[in-house]
Amino acid sequence: MTFNPLEERGIPLDRQLRTWRELDVEPVDPDHADPYTKCRIIAMNGIEIESIMFGHNFTRVCPDLEVKRQLAEVRYIEQQQQKVVNWLLPGSASPLETTISYEQVAVDLTAWVARMEPDPYLTQAYQFGVLEDFDHLYRYANLYELIQHRKAEKIVDGLTEVIPGRPTRFHHRHPADNVREPYDRTTVDPLSRLHALTIMAAEQQTLSFYLNVGPQYMEPIARQLYQEIAMIEEEHVTHYESLVDPGETWWERLVTHEYNECYLYYSFMETESDRRVRAIWELHLNMELEHLRLACDLMRRNDGREPEEVLAPELPNVLTFEPNKAYLRELLDTQIDLTTLGTGYVQEAHERFERMQEALMGGEDPVSDQVVTRHVEQFGEDYRVETEGPHPDPTLRRREASHR
Amino acid sequence: MTEERTAGRVPTATMDPDVIDLLIGQHMEIRDLFTEVEAATGDARADAFGRLVTLLAVHETAEEQVVHPMARGALDGGDDVVDARLAEERQAKELLGELEKRDPGSAEFDTLLAGLRVAVLAHANSEEAHEFRYLRRTVDPARLRAMATMVRAAEATAPTHPHPGVESAKANLTVGPVVAAFDRARDLFTKARSGKD
Repeated sequence: MTFNPLEERGIPLDRQLRTWRELDVEPVDPDHADPYTKCRIIAMNGIEIESIMFGHNFTRVCPDLEVKRQLAEVRYIEQQQQKVVNWLLPGSASPLETTISYEQVAVDLTAWVARMEPDPYLTQAYQFGVLEDFDHLYRYANLYELIQHRKAEKIVDGLTEVIPGRPTRFHHRHPADNVREPYDRTTVDPLSRLHALTIMAAEQQTLSFYLNVGPQYMEPIARQLYQEIAMIEEEHVTHYESLVDPGETWWERLVTHEYNECYLYYSFMETESDRRVRAIWELHLNMELEHLRLACDLMRRNDGREPEEVLAPELPNVLTFEPNKAYLRELLDTQIDLTTLGTGYVQEAHERFERMQEALMGGEDPVSDQVVTRHVEQFGEDYRVETEGPHPDPTLRRREASHR
Repeated sequence: MTEERTAGRVPTATMDPDVIDLLIGQHMEIRDLFTEVEAATGDARADAFGRLVTLLAVHETAEEQVVHPMARGALDGGDDVVDARLAEERQAKELLGELEKRDPGSAEFDTLLAGLRVAVLAHANSEEAHEFRYLRRTVDPARLRAMATMVRAAEATAPTHPHPGVESAKANLTVGPVVAAFDRARDLFTKARSGKD
């Protein structure tokens, strides 16, 4: 029997409010937790925040007082859900350690979505983006050993390789080239809507996280690396949000948000290794089923359409955090030198790209290069977790200290 | 990026490591050594625990003898900050003393070890957040670097990494009971200081 969120009953909204005591969750252990449990926490936090901010934006353009009241009630519960989810992260992990988990999310979530996405243009967008997150993981891992004196393999635990992707310096494109074509809401596969929303939410949360934690560091190299990579997260949010059809109505978007939360909580409940965390995914799924039911009623009343017209007939494959090493190596082998031009992709560095690069770099190496150079100076080589043999691209194989 | 800033008071990763770098590095080693003890069994566990005791002894002693006295004078509310850290260290030492009386293969050992780990990691976290980052702001970088040299010299003489095979793992544990390990570490620092200061 497949799980159909439209047919399940959840917890009535007036029984969803939790006390302060219930919100006070015990965090997961920084050293014993499954790295993918941390990834699920980080991903779900991004999903909750997107849902909350969507609700605020909707409220700002919504003239109907009754609708605004209902949105506020549901949003209050979602804020509580966000507190429970994100407060599962351990306070003893430094922001940089959490950053490495954020990049592990970006890599393995985007790679999985790229593998499952039915539309080739959208697949290309995820494949393009994932090679950049993959390189960010490598840059932050080098920074981690430089300033925190610990190896990132303790965090990613061999599930995700840490090797160069498309070099970060080449991610700085002209902003106009970050805008993609949207899918067509009348013909799109419902799964594609969920994918686009999930990855957009994850990247948006990564952007916010870097904007806030970057200045908490004292070391100039850390402050600068957060600045540089946060500017690329701005590009990624632009890239992914432009995939979504802007013609979707607010009601359509509302039910898609709620449905996506059901989909992800269900997926995480099915794949979670930590029993205590699993119970949270299950509880939140039962709350979201009710949020979805309320959203569907609003759509029927205000949009004159049935939610089934935009939602999947049944829940898609369980979204799974799992290693994507072979897939990523294949992309490294074939797509590392891509950039964007207009809404498409090209292999050569075109004029607008070169102008942007020159204007930004000011003739110096960006800090994403410096962090590797400094690592080589201090440790004799760059930091990598290379579990599947040498890098597929010969020019990105290990840089020795002779580069000094 | 301005040269002035990198060369100024804020330490950078490529400069000689200062005493804070050194102690943060040890926090990470301690953290990973706990995981190693938890995962190991038999002699390997006794051996890893022996290394943990030695590392904790030299590390905590370096903090007590070198860093905390400096923090008392250099930080606003330094006495309170340091007193709180010393109370945590005392609690950890007591737990360590309880642990060494137990058989490393017993369930009691596991429970005590889990408690010690949480206490030590929370203590390390408080030091980094409430003490170390403010020391970097207030103390002359050259002084912090000189302290690193002193601490390294003192620790070089401590058997931080006993060689398995030379002595049996059990023997390591019996020659390094907790109190003795801390006493020995204190002696090393006293010698290093009288030689340097």
